[in-house]
Amino acid sequence: MSNLSIEAKVGVFVVIGIIILGYMSMRLGKLGFKMDKGYEVKVYFDSASGLEEDVSVEIAGVEVGRVSKVLLEDGKALVILRIDSNVKLRKDVKASIGTRGILGDKYVVLVQGSSAAPLIEPGGRIVSTTTATDLDSLMNVLGEVAKNISTLTRSFANVMGGEKGEASLRSIVDSMQAVAETLNRTVQENNEELVKIIANLSEFSATINEISSKINKGEGSIGKLINEEDTVEKLNGTLASLKEITEKINRGEGSIGKLLNDEETVETLNSTLTSINDYMQKQESFRTYLDYRGEYLFDSNDVKSYLSLRIQPREDKYYLLQVVDDPGGVESVTDITTTTNGVTTTEHIEKKEKNEIKFSAQIAKRYYDLGLRGGIFESTGGFAFDYYLLKDRLTLSMEAFDFDSDSNAHLKFKADFTPFKHLYITSGFDDFISDEGNESFFIGAGINFLDEDITTILSDLPFYK
Amino acid sequence: MIRFLEFAGRPLVFFVEECGRIMLLLLSTISWMFRPPFRIRVIFKQMEFVGVNSVIVVMITGAFTGMVLALQTYHGFRMFGGESLVGSTVALSMTRELGPVFTALMVTGRVGSAMAAELGTMKVTEQIDALNTMSVNPIQYLVMPRIIAAILMLPVLTIISDFVGIVGGYFVGVNLLKINSGIFIAKIIDIVDLEDIFNGLIKAAFFGLILSLIGCYKGISTIGGAEGVGRATTQSVVLSSVLIFISDYFLTAVMF
Repeated sequence: MSNLSIEAKVGVFVVIGIIILGYMSMRLGKLGFKMDKGYEVKVYFDSASGLEEDVSVEIAGVEVGRVSKVLLEDGKALVILRIDSNVKLRKDVKASIGTRGILGDKYVVLVQGSSAAPLIEPGGRIVSTTTATDLDSLMNVLGEVAKNISTLTRSFANVMGGEKGEASLRSIVDSMQAVAETLNRTVQENNEELVKIIANLSEFSATINEISSKINKGEGSIGKLINEEDTVEKLNGTLASLKEITEKINRGEGSIGKLLNDEETVETLNSTLTSINDYMQKQESFRTYLDYRGEYLFDSNDVKSYLSLRIQPREDKYYLLQVVDDPGGVESVTDITTTTNGVTTTEHIEKKEKNEIKFSAQIAKRYYDLGLRGGIFESTGGFAFDYYLLKDRLTLSMEAFDFDSDSNAHLKFKADFTPFKHLYITSGFDDFISDEGNESFFIGAGINFLDEDITTILSDLPFYK
Repeated sequence: MIRFLEFAGRPLVFFVEECGRIMLLLLSTISWMFRPPFRIRVIFKQMEFVGVNSVIVVMITGAFTGMVLALQTYHGFRMFGGESLVGSTVALSMTRELGPVFTALMVTGRVGSAMAAELGTMKVTEQIDALNTMSVNPIQYLVMPRIIAAILMLPVLTIISDFVGIVGGYFVGVNLLKINSGIFIAKIIDIVDLEDIFNGLIKAAFFGLILSLIGCYKGISTIGGAEGVGRATTQSVVLSSVLIFISDYFLTAVMF
């Protein structure tokens, strides 16, 4: 040491001091060599109680930045966070104030949201904040509850009496008046419709009147039923026996009576009703469509009508019940041979019954865009293919039925197009390999309702504008 | 009555005069700082004397301060399970208070007294008057280098004391009291701010000024031969120590 110069000794000493200072600074890391200044993000807290500048900001317990500033803005605590630039925050990040240790040091906790959300820009704002449940916030909540209760009682007091209550009552009356006025106006505006409705109603009641007067006079089957002495007596008898039966049931006589008067039965009934209820709820997934279509047959100048009920328990399956009014009717050919005075004449009678009613009952199953149908077609057996296009708005169908031995099968090709919700147009060729001259090009239209729609329309109709 | 006033007033007048003389010495030192000739070598010599030669004393003081602090706070913190705070308590106390104050006290005892004795002897042997006749300003040649050296060296000694004290606390806490070393250091890093260290160093520089200024003042105002030198030395140590504690309180109040 002694051969070192004074300057060297002092220099070494100072360098050691500076090294120690530098080392401690680096370990404490708050000035250090951190060149990375990061970026700032704003967050508003209802209360930043205990939150100091320069406390840590953590995600999952890892420090990702520091609180840069705590300010007051619009009665809320604006906390500016400085986040390390290699940490990306998403827009749905949640911020809260956490408490650490027995001394309750506060720090900011961030919870990252989904990775799908966009990133927060530097200078952006964290929207979602939650207040951590520490003692402070607990007290806050309690205070709020007390406040709410006091407001509640105060508002009760205000409602029950005082000028305010009077005012609110007055405002209620005012609004009622306004409602009445609106109602009045509605009636006036809809006057025409209302008149129509009333006219319809009166017509309807007139019809009913007519019917009931007919019944009174004993006209028609119902009238006869009611006006004939005999019927009345019979009815009386029936009622008497019904009375007898119900009395028996009441007394618990007979099997039904026993059933009904038994506690067990009631329980069973209850459970049955529950299951029926369940079943009915399942029924709601049922779709029932009512469909009417008319086809104008160019060759015979006639209209062929179809009224069908389509019961669709599942998307890919339905049952079709159809009533067809066929103007072509059923053709019957009879040869009547009469022998008069030795002369035999053969009369050839072609009888075409007009307006034959035919029935169809089919089951249909759908595989993707192809549907298969089979069953009764216009009172004969048959099958059909349907092809669904344009999101089911266009349906191409080929039906084949009436495989009689004495004539060609009835083949029908049709295309249904649904431009609007309930309305569709149809076109096709009916019976195109007919050997009886029934082949005809047709064009037509139809309406198709989900039967809930009918209800809706019926109830809505008078108010349609 | 007048006698009583004189009796009561003399120390007061003396105190006020003393304060004034110390301030005048400080001001002339500052004014001489910026006037040639600059005797860098003299400053370095004082820096060696104040800093380098005090390092062993300061390190021993610092180490044992940290160690005893760890030992004492451990028993306190154990009562509510806060043993992990021992490290940060030691570090905080060392950097903020104990490092600067103990260093300053040690340096006062070792250097301040030496300054008073040295300058006092020069004063009573009329060497200072000789310097004046050689047109060497005694303030510039004797006082100014000592004050600069003390102001510069005290922070260096303090940082060494801080570090050694924390290491001593670590040794006691981790090796003897079995506190987890990771938590010990993490808590220090967590709680101690760089600001704490810097404020401690500013204090140390201020203490350096106080002890050197008092030492030099007592030295150059010595009267009464060898006895006077002894009295000046004692007075300088006592006054410096008291002023260090008083100023420490006010500095702390201002800084933290």
